[in-house]
Amino acid sequence: MMGYLLRRAGAAILTLWLAFTLAFFALRILPGDAVSATLARSGASSEQIAERRAILGLDQPLPQQYGQVLGGLLHGDFGSSLVSNRPVSDMIGEQFGATVILAAGALLVGVLIGVGLGIVVALGSSRWLRWSAALIVSLLLSSPIYWTGTLLITLFSLMLHLLPSAGSNDPQTLILPCLALGLSLAGSIARVTGDSLASLRDEDFVRTARAKGLRRRQIAIQHILRAGLAPVLAVIGLQAGFLLGGTVVTETLFVRQGIGQVLLSAIQDHDFPVVQGIVILSAIVYSVVNMITDLLTAAFDPRVSPTE
Amino acid sequence: MRTRRLLTSIILMIFVLMACASALFVVILFGSGKKVVAEASKNHIVYGLTLMPSGFDPHVNSSSELGIVLRSVYDTLLYRDPQTKAFVPGLAEKWSISDDGLTYTFNLRAGVKFQDGTPFDAKAVAVNLDRITNPATKSQKALFLLGPYDHYTIVDPMTIQIVLKQPYAPLLDGLSQVYTGIASPNALQSYDLARYQFHQVGTGPFSMVDYIPGDHLTIRRNPDYKWGPPFYNPPTANSVDEIEFRFFTDPATRATALESDAAQIMGELSPTDATLFTGNSNVRLYPQPIPGAPLQFLFNVSSEPTDQLQVRQALIQAINRSGIVDAVFQQFSPVAYGPLSAVSPYYDPEVTKLYPYSSTAALDQLHGLGFVQSKENPILHKGTQQTLQNLRLVMVVPPWGFAPQVAQKLQIQWKQLGADVVIKEVPSFTDLVAALKDKDNDYNLIVYNDFGLDPSFLNGMFGKQAFNNWTHFESDDLDNWLTSATASQSEDERKTYYMQVQKLIMDQALIVPIRDYVNLNGARANVNGLSFDAYGWFPLLPNLTLGDTPKTATPTS
Repeated sequence: MMGYLLRRAGAAILTLWLAFTLAFFALRILPGDAVSATLARSGASSEQIAERRAILGLDQPLPQQYGQVLGGLLHGDFGSSLVSNRPVSDMIGEQFGATVILAAGALLVGVLIGVGLGIVVALGSSRWLRWSAALIVSLLLSSPIYWTGTLLITLFSLMLHLLPSAGSNDPQTLILPCLALGLSLAGSIARVTGDSLASLRDEDFVRTARAKGLRRRQIAIQHILRAGLAPVLAVIGLQAGFLLGGTVVTETLFVRQGIGQVLLSAIQDHDFPVVQGIVILSAIVYSVVNMITDLLTAAFDPRVSPTE
Repeated sequence: MRTRRLLTSIILMIFVLMACASALFVVILFGSGKKVVAEASKNHIVYGLTLMPSGFDPHVNSSSELGIVLRSVYDTLLYRDPQTKAFVPGLAEKWSISDDGLTYTFNLRAGVKFQDGTPFDAKAVAVNLDRITNPATKSQKALFLLGPYDHYTIVDPMTIQIVLKQPYAPLLDGLSQVYTGIASPNALQSYDLARYQFHQVGTGPFSMVDYIPGDHLTIRRNPDYKWGPPFYNPPTANSVDEIEFRFFTDPATRATALESDAAQIMGELSPTDATLFTGNSNVRLYPQPIPGAPLQFLFNVSSEPTDQLQVRQALIQAINRSGIVDAVFQQFSPVAYGPLSAVSPYYDPEVTKLYPYSSTAALDQLHGLGFVQSKENPILHKGTQQTLQNLRLVMVVPPWGFAPQVAQKLQIQWKQLGADVVIKEVPSFTDLVAALKDKDNDYNLIVYNDFGLDPSFLNGMFGKQAFNNWTHFESDDLDNWLTSATASQSEDERKTYYMQVQKLIMDQALIVPIRDYVNLNGARANVNGLSFDAYGWFPLLPNLTLGDTPKTATPTS
């Protein structure tokens, strides 16, 4: 088990290095940088802009910049924003909590609704119930966050005056964003859950359980669900990795604090250090979530060993 | 096997926790009922900002949004009257300029205290000048507002002189802007460059309470403030005493927030939303003209076919600007005719007579230049097969200010004329600058606009060596006039120079002016007294009051 964890940690470090290197060069290959654009609006001369770029080391050869940034990262220094001059670690740190809360809430909504719908689609007691659930799954799969979010705001904020449409300083402001983002996850989770459970209905171990005279509910919960949830865990892990993209839209739509807004501004400004920092953070989150998912899959499915 | 059981237990625990969280979720959802809708308390309002500045330090950062908040946290040495645009005393009671235009002497106001109790004096001004000009500050705007700053001299505790390397008339304008606001020396000493923005202290009518990046920034009325300019009203029982600023970066969220009362004031509404609010008794509109350079398309005179003056003139004449402005901005913006908007100082109204819309006259002019259309080539072209020149135009268009919509209208109208028009959209200002600096990027038109009261921003657009001279037009006359206007202390002289500058720019057809910028602000009907400073962007927050009965609207249309 320890060996497995060490191997996974090694792979995660390699992933982080690759993600950073790709981000570093991709950002710098793109023309333009934050300094020129910011100062161009302030009436600075070409000489003044060149001087400022030199102060920030942006005029140095790329390999030299790469070495310096990588060296800083190894010492835990993410650098400073080219636009705000603030340490990137501070900028990320003060936003990360809000994004994690939103992502966790959305994941909770997505898993509960997605798994629930998937079970009904596969194991519902009547055809009508299964079809209704399948229709809802199709709707969820085809509705983008922006659309779902706008509908939720219109319904709960503008028409019913039940929930705030904007902000992040109150627990109630979490509800609509979590629902919007969670519903976008629920569709794919429900689809995989339904397919996975349906494929197990005629498996040998299910027929055996039936032959032993176990009740339908007992077979569903004890046998089908346990084996069928392994691929669902995998898809939940993948969705958790993609949550960051969803939070960008959700945070913008619901005017919430979070890392998505910072990322969006940093990409638009070509603020390299900030984008790099968030890319590395995303890679860490993705690696950790995948490792946890693998371990959970092994726990759920007796056919999978965590050390394989 | 033991590991598997342990993992199974953990998973079960996770599901139990998830169930508990769900229950909590439901309790929050249904238990709190209707109380949850954010409502403004009597003297507290939420003000919607339209972008999230990457930094809020006025000496360091440059966005207009920071000024909306901090204009009321800081005083400046001078102010500009919102109506007359004249300079009026701020922290400096009096000022004088030496005959050579190099030395500015400021007699400072006595009895002023910063919000942390620090007394205001010449040393405080000196500390601020040192901070702005320190290379480590990496100032993005304030430094450039000081122009050719050289040094200061403290004459006595309440008198300071600023000495320039060369005459620079826009200095007073620079010292009237929030970016040169005077901060408490004690606060600047207590917090480093990165942290000061969270603990800002000025002498203004509001004090900073807290700033949570990406979430909100709150300011509260300064009860000791009594040295404001004449256009700040004294506080009353109904005055707004606390303002929470939130970031509504997505235009689609702004009208919703105003409608649902999640925000009581909102800037930069879309013309469509503003039209919808026109008949809404809960919301009032405050369209605010902004002085500066209108939304315009700059012609690149170094690229074919816009290198020919007559082609540029014909292209301007061929467009129905009123039609474009009505369609895109829905009567909320005036048509622009020159490089300065109509509310800018030194604006020359003669420009309105230039280039009246006539597609026939435009086509005649192009025919006169040898451009023809044929069955084989419906695009206006001239020359033989070897020297064929199509009337092909490439526009570089950023996403803000409805530039893409305007570009599409221009494309349609110029296509009707017979031109081939290509729109290249860029996602941000950074990409715009990058695209223009790319030597392989051959463009004919580029979108630009700028804000400011002093027309010295034209130096950056049309000066020979200017970083933003995207027209690539070079003229000794234009350069001399711009330089002389910047140096001259005589209002009459400056006016003469800027009249000549505007005439030359339009005679040379260097720009296609589209619309004067108007900020469409909206406020809930119980908010009174919303008005803006001379620069148009920054609200006079001390004048805001709240009342149940809407008073007479004072929209600055």
